[in-house]
Amino acid sequence: MLTKIFAALAVVVAGSAIFNSYTQKSALVLREENQASFSPRHGTRLSGSYNSSGVWIFYSNRSGYDDFRGGGPGSGK
Amino acid sequence: MQVAVDTKRTSHFIDKWAYIAIGATGFLLLAFIASGFFKKTLISKNISVGVGESTPPEKFILEPQAIGALRVDVQASIPANTSLAYQIQLLDKQGKVLASAIKNAWSETGTWYEDGESGRWSESDLLAGLDVRTKKAEELNLVITPLEYENKFGRELTQPKPVFNILVENGVVDTRPLFPALFGTIPLAVMAMFAVTFTGKKVISKTINDSDVSDRATLGGANQLVRVKVNVESDEISPSYLQIKLVINNGYGERVYKTSKTVNVNIKREDDSIEGNCSSTLFFVFEKRDSYSFNVEVLPDDSVDRTTLIVCEGVQSLRAEDVVYIRPKSANVSDNI
Repeated sequence: MLTKIFAALAVVVAGSAIFNSYTQKSALVLREENQASFSPRHGTRLSGSYNSSGVWIFYSNRSGYDDFRGGGPGSGK
Repeated sequence: MQVAVDTKRTSHFIDKWAYIAIGATGFLLLAFIASGFFKKTLISKNISVGVGESTPPEKFILEPQAIGALRVDVQASIPANTSLAYQIQLLDKQGKVLASAIKNAWSETGTWYEDGESGRWSESDLLAGLDVRTKKAEELNLVITPLEYENKFGRELTQPKPVFNILVENGVVDTRPLFPALFGTIPLAVMAMFAVTFTGKKVISKTINDSDVSDRATLGGANQLVRVKVNVESDEISPSYLQIKLVINNGYGERVYKTSKTVNVNIKREDDSIEGNCSSTLFFVFEKRDSYSFNVEVLPDDSVDRTTLIVCEGVQSLRAEDVVYIRPKSANVSDNI
C-alpha cells in the first residue's frame, strides 16, 4: 500500500513536471491578461502587463529608471 | 495428509509499483535528455548598439505550438566595472509593443586580500532571457534597446558601445521544473522500494532468549506469499557459522517441510564485548490455508543468546525469489511411496 502511494506520488510529480516543462507553462503568453504561471529567466523582469483586451501596458512605476527612455521604438507615446 | 513440495523461482510476487516509481525517475531523465531535440535556431547574431538607439528589428513568425516556446536569449558584452540596463521588446506587425522586459546587466572586477595573499576576482550577470508562447500566429519583430549605461561611479557612458549576442530559438523546452522533480522522485522511488520490505501482515513475531523458537499461526492460500525470517544473536564464543533448522508442521502435527541452512555469522567487536548476528529468510506458498507451526532450532546452541522468528503473509518482493510451494497431494493421484 505504502509502495503504491510513493509510486503514485512519483508518477504525479514526474508527470506534472514534464507537462509543465514541455508545454512551457512558465513562458509569457502573448496577449493574455493572466500570466500567473510566468516565471522570469536570468533576472529579466517584464516592464508591463496586458490589459483585458490584450494590449501591453507599461508599468507606470518605471522601476527606478530616472532617465527611462520610453520603451523603445513603437511604444512612442 | 501428504504434501508435494517444490521450489520454483518466481517473479509472480514482485511489487511492480516499486518499479513504476523508478520508471517515473527514469522518464524524467529521458525528458531532460530529449528536451533539446525540439529546438530550432531562428536568429543568431552579434549587434553593437549605443544608448539612445535600438537594434534593427529582427522579423520572425511565431505560431501556436504543442511543445516548447520561443526563447530569446540576449548576452550583453560590456567592459569591466560598468552596468547596463537594456530592454528586450517584441513588436507586432504594426510596430505596437507586444512584450517588453528589462535586464540590469553588470560586470565587476576587483582585488581581494586575505592572509597576506591577494588575487583578482570578477563577477558578472549579463544574460537576459524571455520565453514567449502564443495562442494565434503572430508576426513579431525583436528589438533590443540599451537604456542606461554607466560605470561604477555612476557616470554615464557612450563608448564603447555595448555588443549584444542575440539568440532566438523556437520549440525550446523549459527544463527548470525537471530538476526539483528529479530530486523529489529519487527519494520517492527509494522509499517505494524500501516500503516493499514492509508489505504483508505479520502473523508470527516471537523472540526467545534461547536457540529454539517455535510458534503456530493460521496462514496460507494460493496467492499468499509467506516470508519466514529467522534472526539469531550469539555471544563471544560464537562460531563463524551456525546451522539454522526449520521444521513446519500442519494443523494435524504432520511435518510438511523441513530444511537446514548453514549461515555465516557477522561478528561485531565493540570494546570488550563480542556479538554475533546472522539471519535467514525463506519464501513459501502454502496452497491450503491451515494452521501451521514453525519450529526453529539453531546449532550449535551454546553460544546462542536470542532467536527471533518472524512470519509475514501476503508479502511482496522486489525481485524474483526462490519460493517453496507446499500443496496437498490430490487423493486420486496414485502414489506408491
